[in-house]
Amino acid sequence: MSNQISAAAKSEKTFAETFRSRKVQRLLVIFTFMLVPMALLIIFTYVPFGKMVQFSFYQMKYSGPRKFVGLKNYIDVFQRSECFKSLFVSVYYMGGALVQLALALFFATLMVFKVRGSAVFKGAMFFPYLICGIAVGFIFKFFYARGFVLDSLLQMAGMDIEKIPYWLENQSINNISLVATSVWRYTGQNMILFLGAMMSVDAELYEAASLDGANKWHQFRYIILPSIKSIVVLNMILSISGSLSAFEPPYVITNGTMGTGTYFVIMNRLAHENQKVGLACAMAIVLLGIIILCTVAQKLFFKYAFDDGTSDESKAAVRRRRKAERAVVKGGAR
Amino acid sequence: MKVKKVLSLGLAAVMAMSMLAACGNSDGETGGVTSSENVPTIDEIKVGEDYQDLTASIKVLTNRTDIVDTVYKRYADEFMKLYPNITVEYEGITDYEESLNLRLTNGDWGDLCFIPTSVNKNELSMYFTPLGDYDTLDPIYNFCTEKTYDGTVYGICNGGTASGVLYNKKVWADAGITELPATPEEFLDCLQKIKDNTDVEAPLYTNFSAGWPMGAWDAYIGIAATGNPDFMNNEIIHTKDPFAKQDDMTGPYAVYYTMYEAVARKLVEESPASSDWESSKNKMNKGEIGAMVLGSWAVQQCKEAGDTPDDVGYMPFPITVDGKRYAGAGGNYAFGINNQAAEDNQIAAMVYLKWLIEESSIYDDEGSIPALKSGDLPDALADFEGVELLSDNPPLEGEEDLFNEVNNESEVGINNNDYPDCEILEAALYGTRTLDEVMGEWNEKWSAAQESLGVEVNK
Repeated sequence: MSNQISAAAKSEKTFAETFRSRKVQRLLVIFTFMLVPMALLIIFTYVPFGKMVQFSFYQMKYSGPRKFVGLKNYIDVFQRSECFKSLFVSVYYMGGALVQLALALFFATLMVFKVRGSAVFKGAMFFPYLICGIAVGFIFKFFYARGFVLDSLLQMAGMDIEKIPYWLENQSINNISLVATSVWRYTGQNMILFLGAMMSVDAELYEAASLDGANKWHQFRYIILPSIKSIVVLNMILSISGSLSAFEPPYVITNGTMGTGTYFVIMNRLAHENQKVGLACAMAIVLLGIIILCTVAQKLFFKYAFDDGTSDESKAAVRRRRKAERAVVKGGAR
Repeated sequence: MKVKKVLSLGLAAVMAMSMLAACGNSDGETGGVTSSENVPTIDEIKVGEDYQDLTASIKVLTNRTDIVDTVYKRYADEFMKLYPNITVEYEGITDYEESLNLRLTNGDWGDLCFIPTSVNKNELSMYFTPLGDYDTLDPIYNFCTEKTYDGTVYGICNGGTASGVLYNKKVWADAGITELPATPEEFLDCLQKIKDNTDVEAPLYTNFSAGWPMGAWDAYIGIAATGNPDFMNNEIIHTKDPFAKQDDMTGPYAVYYTMYEAVARKLVEESPASSDWESSKNKMNKGEIGAMVLGSWAVQQCKEAGDTPDDVGYMPFPITVDGKRYAGAGGNYAFGINNQAAEDNQIAAMVYLKWLIEESSIYDDEGSIPALKSGDLPDALADFEGVELLSDNPPLEGEEDLFNEVNNESEVGINNNDYPDCEILEAALYGTRTLDEVMGEWNEKWSAAQESLGVEVNK
């Protein structure tokens, strides 16, 4: 009997105590602090995303009745020729992304060694990123227009107007023209990211290296590049997924005409001009799938090539070292 | 501190206003309904004779703030000479649609206004005085259908506009063209003459780069190309292969043929992707462009864009159906009379309205199609002489949304998607596809949409 009473008192006491205990208090604090950001995240990201997934199974306009059609929208996406043709346009943007990364690396490396007026250069290079994409589009619309900025410059340089191609009309180069605008816009931003990572490299390493007779290329290859590998990988993944979803340059400059329509432009046209919201949602989900696939593939590739992009040695180098070690061990044993 | 004060003041003001508005509303509802029984219909009034002894002071609302104190005031003054007992006062409103939507609900807004487009036809009788029966007024005035509900006309359009082709008269004269073209083939020949005989930048300027000027071509496939006011809203939905080639070169095919061939024969600007809308207006005015296919709203803009406004002309789209020419036309804002105003005011407003649309110089001044069917066309539309002006009939009951559904489902996007029109130009520019192939594809899409929506198709 007395045992029972004491047990009950004990359990009662434990509730109040548990509530006040450090562990529960910590959980409570975590929970309350998480509440607001989680609510924002759920309301503005996951609920709309869930809705989009739901819409992709319906035949619907923005207003009016909706009809459930199952997977028909997805089948349509895969059957429509223009959807996947537009992904081919993205290949141009991926190529542009590589050029952009190379340029950004190059400029960042130049800046990291003491250059006179590097602050001015940094500002000038970063500036295009601050202009909004639509404005960039309008700038280049005039830049490429026949007889306008670019053509006049080339003519001043002595080129014959007859020999200058139509930058936006000639289908063999118009996508390259458009990609160039996005390279122009994002190179500075990539450069700043690289520069940030490069700053963390101990400057004494350069000194030591140059004492050992390493030139600038060697310093870049063996000191800088290995130290910023993870940033390079990150930038690469961001640019590739960015190029799959390129929108502003073709939308503003050519309106997706003349074979420059990217996946997003086609999606926008279906959703807003033809009011096929369900189909456009399905396209968005398919694109999401493609981007996930690309990212995973890239991750795997870098993991294989550079050992997840963070370690200093590549897999191949590790294998070579192991082999050499084994040979030494074997030699020692003998 | 100061900011707070201002804020609270503002809040108080808003509250006071909304209370006032609420009061006004209830007043209007109780007082207004009975007072329009003795108001005549507009056709019964004889301007200059009837109601000479009527004393009233009316207020007219307009969106034309640019001319409300000059041109419109002059009309009011002229009218007041004729009717000394009636005072007409204009009020210009900048944010017209929005403010009028709010003011209409409170019956005390004035006496005569332009009916905002957002007022649905079935709501017209709530706010506006009946002007007469449709059957009586339709033979007298243009565009009566637009504000008719249940056989009663509640508004008369302040004239209207016709759709055609912008051209530079001087360029066409310099090229040795004396007669305006009446068929697509003649039009293309004219463009060729302009190219050969003058040194313009482009005989036809497409404005491809802006996108929407390509979509503007869709406006001609109805009345201008078929002469049939039922085509756009009723027949095209039920037609099998509406874009197919007709032997007499009419119908939608003829419109797109004009565009395709002009591009294919290099009668357009050198680089369509580099075209620029803003500067094209000035080039049209100066005579560096032969023609542009755009709605009549563009006429005034092109006239204002340079020093030679008189060179800018407007002609009907070059298609002849069975020997007759047609042009699509639509009404401007329609005048409506406040049915909550005092009876004398309603009558005075109707007298002024009748005088304004029948006797004043308003349509010559604005260069639009007059409200009276018997009226002469303004100089700006002189080339439309002998061309029958028609407006699209409304869709049949129960099929109001059908056109939009077929249009969207097929992605042909008539009047709402510029891209298919752009594709015609691209096909012609690169020579990748013939027009028959493009139109064949449109027909296929159109048929597929008709089928999937279960639309009845007449073979």
